[in-house]
Amino acid sequence: MRPLSLGAGTCSRAVTKGRTFPRSMVSDFFFPQPGGIESHIYQLSTKLIDRGHKVIIITHAYKGRTGVRYLTNGLKVYHVPFLVIYRESTMPTVFSFFPIFRNIVIREQIQIVHGHASLSSFCHEAILHARTMGLRTVFTDHSLFGFADAGSILTNKLLKFTLSDVDHVICVSHTCKENTVLRASLDPLMVSVIPNAVVAENFRPLEQGEPPRPIGPNDIITIVVISRLFYNKGTDLLIATIPRILSSHPNVRFIIAGSGPKAIDLEQMLERNVLQDKVEMLGPVRHEEVRDVMVRGHIYLHPSLTEAFGTVLVEAASCGLYVVCTRVGGIPEVLPQHMTTFAKPEEDDLVMATSKAIAALRSNKVRTDRFHDQVKMMYSWTDVAQRTERVYKGIQGDISPEEFYGYYPGQGWEASGDRVRSFALIDRLKRYYGCGVWAGKLFCLCVVIDVLIYVLLEMWFPRANIDIARSWPKKLKQKETADSTRDSPHRIGSTT
Amino acid sequence: MTEYLEESLRPPHAVPARKLRGTSRRRRRKGAWKKLLWVKQSCMDPDNYTDTETFLDHLQRNPRVRPYDFWPLVADSTVIVQHVCSVAIFVCCFVGIVQGRVSPVSIVCWGSVGTAMGWILWDSVPPLPPHDAPMISRLSSRNRQRLSTVKSAFLIYCALLGLSPILKSLTKSTASDSIWAMSCWLLITNIFSFDYGSGEGAGATKFPASLSTNAAVMASTVLASRLPSTTHVFSLMLFSIEVFGLFPIFRRQLRHISWTGHVFLTLALVIAAGGAVGITLRGGLTAAVVGSMLGSILTALAMGGCSWWLISLQKYKNVVTGPWDPARPIIRRHWD
Repeated sequence: MRPLSLGAGTCSRAVTKGRTFPRSMVSDFFFPQPGGIESHIYQLSTKLIDRGHKVIIITHAYKGRTGVRYLTNGLKVYHVPFLVIYRESTMPTVFSFFPIFRNIVIREQIQIVHGHASLSSFCHEAILHARTMGLRTVFTDHSLFGFADAGSILTNKLLKFTLSDVDHVICVSHTCKENTVLRASLDPLMVSVIPNAVVAENFRPLEQGEPPRPIGPNDIITIVVISRLFYNKGTDLLIATIPRILSSHPNVRFIIAGSGPKAIDLEQMLERNVLQDKVEMLGPVRHEEVRDVMVRGHIYLHPSLTEAFGTVLVEAASCGLYVVCTRVGGIPEVLPQHMTTFAKPEEDDLVMATSKAIAALRSNKVRTDRFHDQVKMMYSWTDVAQRTERVYKGIQGDISPEEFYGYYPGQGWEASGDRVRSFALIDRLKRYYGCGVWAGKLFCLCVVIDVLIYVLLEMWFPRANIDIARSWPKKLKQKETADSTRDSPHRIGSTT
Repeated sequence: MTEYLEESLRPPHAVPARKLRGTSRRRRRKGAWKKLLWVKQSCMDPDNYTDTETFLDHLQRNPRVRPYDFWPLVADSTVIVQHVCSVAIFVCCFVGIVQGRVSPVSIVCWGSVGTAMGWILWDSVPPLPPHDAPMISRLSSRNRQRLSTVKSAFLIYCALLGLSPILKSLTKSTASDSIWAMSCWLLITNIFSFDYGSGEGAGATKFPASLSTNAAVMASTVLASRLPSTTHVFSLMLFSIEVFGLFPIFRRQLRHISWTGHVFLTLALVIAAGGAVGITLRGGLTAAVVGSMLGSILTALAMGGCSWWLISLQKYKNVVTGPWDPARPIIRRHWD
């Protein structure tokens, strides 16, 4: 549950006419907490602001951070006081968030609500309330879930509740899209795949420009591992492979950064095999320091067991590291063949893949010095913002449904006519009713109560009494450059 | 598409390892779209483009389902029947003792004779994993094992003897109703958490077994505290340890070495339990015979009915797996 950021973005036409329509992003997870979703929201918001949209972020209050904050670029963050129950996720209360949410939405003239992360109760609530208030909603899914255990079943039901009335869903990889479509029984054409990106400037290799020194047969090769040391990050695999790799390759060193419950097992393995002089444990590192750790190595090893996207792989490749990773989740889609060696999530295969990678580096076959520029061409937040903008335009009706959802005659999924979600209560109830025998009725009850609360709020705190917030003054120049680069959908623009 | 997916997720029959693939009614232009994120898809393909060839092509339904057969299922259910029957016999013995129909000493004597016979039988069969150790050391190890068994039996005997007076007054201040309710729940816990497995393979965990044994011992402790004399308490406790602690080990061993013996033991237990219930409810030899027959018929019906029910429920089984599931790492524990 990360902070819901409600992003209301102006469409390009509106900008040129001088009108601004704001959007807001809602999630439980936002700064100051570090993490992938947090930086995703921040980077996307910043780039959307650069493109002339107004974006605000709504999240829950962190320790020492309550109320309204402004970040760089005039990005406004609302830290709403809320009870946090588990790992920065807020208590799911269904309705209690509505009054303040409505106030913020009216105050900031929000048009689109964009929620992030399926474990964020804040995000689910915001999408429900936004639909009640007649706003368009987008949801971004950042993680994969199974279908078997009790926790997943509960999350999936909750997700189905939220997504049965959402306007569009964004997933970070194709595997993630398949997963979300199955979990929430969605129309696949209502789900877009827009990957994460990296700020390539922050992940530069050590020496740039000059040709790299070839690696000799006896030079030290350093393998970097940066991950939280949890079971699902594959730390057990790592523990099993390190001694075997080190015994067969004497000129290899390891650098391991990160902390977690499996750190003890890792240290025990080092002591049992007396490998302290070959394996360096750095403990937790801050996100800003990740690059400085990465550039010390030649190979990045990622033994994760499940991963929706794997931003860290892109960061490692951008730093000029050759990547060895397990073939799980969305990882095979992330990087091209010449940057990676894939392994099955098995000890023997991982050892073999690492050995292959070491051999490839020693024979100087891999041009790691070119990786940075290649990655820069593949992933950029500007590109992500452009593609997200297309989604916003599509659900706002600026792009015709035929163009937005595509028209593929005879492919099995023609337009069912329900993709443009109407706000009529009876249509919404119909969609929620189909969620399940019991769940459907419960969801309908929730929606009806939500509508009643909305009516009550409209009478109690009339719209006219809520002040309109002034938006952050913007430089016109930025807008124009953004406008001029807008038309090609996949161009990678430079950041300002 | 929504209906299509929902329908596909609720199959009418359990289909082992069937791949769900989009009907390829159409030929796509070659090389236009790839399931990759780093590649720039052509401008014709927007982000929400769904490729019919590759979409959900790694989805597998019920990949590891093996359909059940009727008779093996019935044969496997004998293990549960055995345990339920021994619990029933224990309860009937307790009721007999409380009502003064049976002498506790005779029960514990019969129980001990049975235990001793079972132990002799268990001891006469060599231990299952035949080690490569020479014959002499194996014999001596078996002798040592016998000695330790006798020692622990003596220890339990003495401990029970010492504890009996304390246990007798353990729940004096508690109403009998609470004791009946509590022991009921504890015995139900025992039946449900009992380790019915064969004690082999990766599934053999220790936790549920200890929970079940502890629940049974606690149930017999609180039941014993309702009895009038120290001899009664001692007898019941010893009997409960024989029934809940040692008898399951013997049953498991018997199932390993002789299937016929296992079936005969099941039959004997079912008849004994039915008879015991008959005597407890009505009294008299006729009631015992009627109880045995009724018990046997009901057990046979329940075994067949439950097996058939489980098989008929299989068609609702729908396990969906795909690349989104966390992988199971395969690790060789070479340093252990």
